[in-house]
Amino acid sequence: MAKAELRKPKPKSNPLKAADITVIDYKDVALLRKFISDRGKIRARRVTGVSVQEQRKIAQAIKNAREVALLPYSGAGRG
Amino acid sequence: MRAYELMVLIDPEVDERTVEPTLGKFLDVVLNDGGTIEKVDIWGRRRLAYDIQKKNEAIYAVVNFTATPATSAELDRQLGLNETIMRTKITRPEEAKVEAE
Repeated sequence: MAKAELRKPKPKSNPLKAADITVIDYKDVALLRKFISDRGKIRARRVTGVSVQEQRKIAQAIKNAREVALLPYSGAGRG
Repeated sequence: MRAYELMVLIDPEVDERTVEPTLGKFLDVVLNDGGTIEKVDIWGRRRLAYDIQKKNEAIYAVVNFTATPATSAELDRQLGLNETIMRTKITRPEEAKVEAE
């Protein structure tokens, strides 16, 4: 009865709702750090648990922050 | 008129006390064209996430202003000509867009 044992995926907690954030600002480095890996890559939505719209804004904010050296580009440097 | 936010990275060898007056000179172009300066926030020296022009730190400053699109483009151009300005970024803040609607 493998079928009956299919696990329901655990509902992910939305980290933005938890922090009570409405506007994603590229200057908010502390927040954006939560959405990048230690290599500097942007974390996938299935990892972060935010909505499509939020993920898009976060990605854009991270890219903006990279332009002004607030966040690292992925790969280069101290991994 | 639109609301803009300007971020500038200034050469760390520049004295931090001279940043505000020099920035003010650049911002005159906004005032001359009928725009307004809302806020000038000097963050001070900050480590860069990666080297820019072989430097590992810069003086960050954030300016909120309103101006016409042409004026903000002119401001960006003039900042780019100055050698002590390492990088600029002009964005339209998300909050201001919401207000305008």
